[in-house]
Amino acid sequence: MSHLSAENVSVAFAGLKALSAVDLQIMPGRISGLIGPNGAGKTTLVNVLTGFQTPTEGAVKLDGEALTGLKPHLVRRRGIARTFQGGRLFRDLPVVDNLEVTGVGLGMSRRAAIAEAEAMLDWIGIASLGSRIAGTLPYTDERRVAIGRALMGRPAYILLDEPAAGMSGPESKELSALIRRIATDLGCGVLLIEHNVGLVLGLCEHIVVLDSGAIIEEGSPVSIRGSEKVRHAYMGTTADADLPVLEVME
Amino acid sequence: MSAVVSETPLAGVVKAAKKPARFSLARRTIITPILLSLLLIAITLITVMTGSRPFNQTVIDVLVRVIFVVGLYIFIGNSGVLSFGHVGFACLGAYATAWLTINPIMKSSALPGLPEWLLQTRLPYWEAAVLAALFAGVAALIFGRVLMRLSGIAASIATFAVLAMINTIYSNWDSVTGGTSSVVGIPIIRTIWPYLIGAVVAIFIAWAHAISRSGLALRAARDEPIAASASGVDIPKERLVAFVVSGAVMGLGGALMAHSIGVVTPDTFYLSLTFTTLSMLVVGGMGSLSGGVIGVVLLSALIQALRWLEAGVPIGESTFAMPKGLQEIALGIIMIVILALRPSGLMGNREVTLPRRNRG
Repeated sequence: MSHLSAENVSVAFAGLKALSAVDLQIMPGRISGLIGPNGAGKTTLVNVLTGFQTPTEGAVKLDGEALTGLKPHLVRRRGIARTFQGGRLFRDLPVVDNLEVTGVGLGMSRRAAIAEAEAMLDWIGIASLGSRIAGTLPYTDERRVAIGRALMGRPAYILLDEPAAGMSGPESKELSALIRRIATDLGCGVLLIEHNVGLVLGLCEHIVVLDSGAIIEEGSPVSIRGSEKVRHAYMGTTADADLPVLEVME
Repeated sequence: MSAVVSETPLAGVVKAAKKPARFSLARRTIITPILLSLLLIAITLITVMTGSRPFNQTVIDVLVRVIFVVGLYIFIGNSGVLSFGHVGFACLGAYATAWLTINPIMKSSALPGLPEWLLQTRLPYWEAAVLAALFAGVAALIFGRVLMRLSGIAASIATFAVLAMINTIYSNWDSVTGGTSSVVGIPIIRTIWPYLIGAVVAIFIAWAHAISRSGLALRAARDEPIAASASGVDIPKERLVAFVVSGAVMGLGGALMAHSIGVVTPDTFYLSLTFTTLSMLVVGGMGSLSGGVIGVVLLSALIQALRWLEAGVPIGESTFAMPKGLQEIALGIIMIVILALRPSGLMGNREVTLPRRNRG
């Protein structure tokens, strides 16, 4: 069974442990969730999985083969894609070109990359945005373009770093449908990192909870919702009655 | 795995979308190099028609500078990394054409350190110019392999080190370069056409690079390096491609400049030329090929006007002359004003193109 995994990954910045002995598995066609309070180390873990951060200890493995030490562009060419908090689109380029860059980065001709980019925009449902300059897009469209860019060349895995941040209820519902299609229609393994815990509980089969760089709980949405530790971690840091957040979003 | 992928709905969509895909990139964008070339052709034709010798030389200088600034644009414009070293590659090109075109008898006495086969070589200037461009490109490849791993200000300073290194070597390797004294005897080409062809070739090379896969990937990396590498872009490699292409274009410019004046010294290709060409690119707009070309034409016209003023303009009985040094000062002030009003240059990131009728 193919899978992407972090095995016993630790990262220390100047002696400070950002991650300690984290294990995580992502399976093709399955949506896994990664939640945790601010500063828990979620983005650091994504950086490790995509080659942006070399782990101090442990390894990232793709189908059992270690990827440690590979540069980010080589990790991407192995079929592990990611998005960023805040989009990071190529602001001066049109939307189609934003997707095209990934196609070209993966070795396609420009012609083939444009064709796939247009098909991808259509599949996501934003074909009409193709010729817009990326820097002029509203927030939610920016996120969807970023997802489209990551999906170019049909990666086996995609890591979504807070794709719903700043979205309204209906908007995140639409996003949630898109993420489900990525897993079911494209057979892509998804890791969803989100602050919107409701979104994660509604989408993911398996959820990992990170706090202060360590996994404090993992399991099905039901078990996570019932977990005393998770409740405590969230209460401890965000005391502002964010508790209803643990309700499932449809 | 691949069987699963090909059955996804997207696979069908890819085929369906092929037809309405945007019409070919080359056809959509080629109007820019054509318009820029037409501008240069028009200037050249006017010059030929006036038949004035000094004006002819002035326009040759303009065309050579267009080659330099287009060469700079290929690297700086697409990568966003400022380079102070490119004039060094022009120096390599200029000396290469000197080695290849000077009369063997003169060469053996002036540059005795050259290998025997090179001493006996005498090529026509245009063959020498092509070889000079290749030589500069190879040098850029060697330097670039080290430099392109750096980024931002570190890369810029390292490119400056390249310029200083080339200048020092060429100023001191007396038996091969003649040291700081002039190398004379380079065949002088006074007709304007070779320079026009050189400038047009440079513009089309820059265009071809800009629409290539490498050019697109590099511009993406310029705007968002992190997202570009997460998109599979090998940034040092794409930078190196641009560095080599631009180094070769600088070499071509250096060779043609050598043939326009007949003499080279290492200091012809040093700080002053670096400053002039960089300011033309910056004023025109670093991110735009059109900006580079227009920057050269405008600033050259301005420099020329100021020179006339310095030399003195007869008004009635008396001659009105501006103080010496006005040219440099005025140029500096104009640059600052333009950059204060338009920080990304006159053209910004835009290119000259025809007004669109109906968008495809």
